[in-house]
Amino acid sequence: MKKQRGWKWSALVALVVALVVSPLYFIAIGGFMSTEEIFHKPPYLFPPAPSLSYYRDALLTLLPYIKNSFIIAFGTLLLTLLVSLPAPFVMTKFRFELKGAVSFLFAFVQMLPYTAVIIPLFLMFTRIKLIDSHFGVMLALSVFLAPFAIIILRSYMVSVPSGLIEAALIDGAGYFKIFTSIVLPLSAPGIASVSILVFLLAWGNFIVPLAFIKAETMRPLSIGLYVFIGQYGVEWNKLMAGSMIYTIPPLAVALLAGKSIVAGLTAGAFKE
Amino acid sequence: MKIPRTTLFLFLLPSLALIFIFGVYPVAYNIFLSLKDVNLISYIRGTAKDVGSLNYRTVLNDSLFWRALYNTIVFTLLSIALQMVVGFLLALLFNYEFPLKGFLQALVMIPWVMPIMVSGSFFRWFLNDNGFLNNLLASLNWIREPVRWITSEKTVIYSLTAVNVWLGIPFNFILLYTGMQQIPEELYESADIDGAAGWQKVLYITLPMLRPVIVATFILGCILTFKVFDLVWIVTRGGPGGASHLLSTFSYSLAFDRFQFGKSAAVLVLMQIIVILFVGFSNRIRLEER
Repeated sequence: MKKQRGWKWSALVALVVALVVSPLYFIAIGGFMSTEEIFHKPPYLFPPAPSLSYYRDALLTLLPYIKNSFIIAFGTLLLTLLVSLPAPFVMTKFRFELKGAVSFLFAFVQMLPYTAVIIPLFLMFTRIKLIDSHFGVMLALSVFLAPFAIIILRSYMVSVPSGLIEAALIDGAGYFKIFTSIVLPLSAPGIASVSILVFLLAWGNFIVPLAFIKAETMRPLSIGLYVFIGQYGVEWNKLMAGSMIYTIPPLAVALLAGKSIVAGLTAGAFKE
Repeated sequence: MKIPRTTLFLFLLPSLALIFIFGVYPVAYNIFLSLKDVNLISYIRGTAKDVGSLNYRTVLNDSLFWRALYNTIVFTLLSIALQMVVGFLLALLFNYEFPLKGFLQALVMIPWVMPIMVSGSFFRWFLNDNGFLNNLLASLNWIREPVRWITSEKTVIYSLTAVNVWLGIPFNFILLYTGMQQIPEELYESADIDGAAGWQKVLYITLPMLRPVIVATFILGCILTFKVFDLVWIVTRGGPGGASHLLSTFSYSLAFDRFQFGKSAAVLVLMQIIVILFVGFSNRIRLEER
């Protein structure tokens, strides 16, 4: 049993945690203040005259980008799951030559710097007309997220009892049937974790849309927020209000499904 | 268990196809691009000329490249060292049972779940010459002149490193905390009986038992930090005067600001070589750990 500590300890930890999360607080209140108030000396710790108008303006401006962000995040999630669910099943449950090579390949792609893939992909996509396309963004994101998902899923699928699979094979079930009716249901917690992580990473990704989306109407929030960073200066209050709007979905996920995030991250990290 | 070859192939096909076509092929393509005089027009028209090692020679003679390499090394090593210390101390705080623990732990994940555009923009304001930090320090009379956190060539990379340490807290915390949970409680109990002080338990039980986790976290941290692009791009775009470029932002700006895809590809190939060398090196460390 771990040692018990009381409310005093909670207060100490809460103080440290408050310091860590304080940027989010200042973004949230920045959205209620005028630009002069945001740069006021000494800085305000509470909005002196809170106004909802910046949040309203930001929301109205960002609506199309919000839609694009959801399309990209869910599309990427679907594509990533589709390509990365089958591989870890055969990799954990069967023996075959080249298994080491396949594992190495996934690990290698995961380690590649984003720019090393994105710059040549930009040239390829220019040729095959996948610039300014949400599908192009989903494809590029999946290249980075699929190896990540596979490595995490492997650590969940390995614990599906092999006896169950052998018994099903003896009963004459096909491999695909075994995969969909035994392996997938039994790895549900892992699939949930991976889905949450992939959604969050696709939602927050910056470099892929930056490189592949030029058209204003196709932009997701990550680069859409640049509307508030104009040529002649930054509209800080709207940028902060917009930032807060952009952060609400991941924040909600973190608070509701924090355990799944932690489980997925550690499963991915401690697999050899 | 055995599996028929065709079935095996069908199960591996979706992921392998995606990764080969849109991951491995582009990376190999960098080598080809790096030997050509490629800009956007010559690429689309297919008129790019072979230039041999010219792109590599130009890049290696560019002081900005060496600056970016130096920055990447400083940024990576300093970030990881500090992230692990902060993550470790935070994990020690959480290594007890106390009220609201689950909620507070979820809050620690916030720097990880916040989109980088949001945290990057925040720190651009926070570290601005007339931003939050300088206003605060000036109001407390700790400084007279604003500190040029991100506008001075000397300080900018250290300011960005500090921001990256904040970004890395959740990841390091979670890995080290999970590792601490694996340490048998009896070890601490017998140390208590022997009358060990708190810091002695940390030094003689927690740290040695955590060694494999610390090594794994260090290696993962190196890989993740070497990849960092967005933070620098959002906060400084590599400026002022290229002083805060990492290899990643340097290669990106060669490609998309100056449309010199050949030179950019040369930088990317050099980065890929560093990754491969590092992976070989880290595998050796991992083998020695076993």
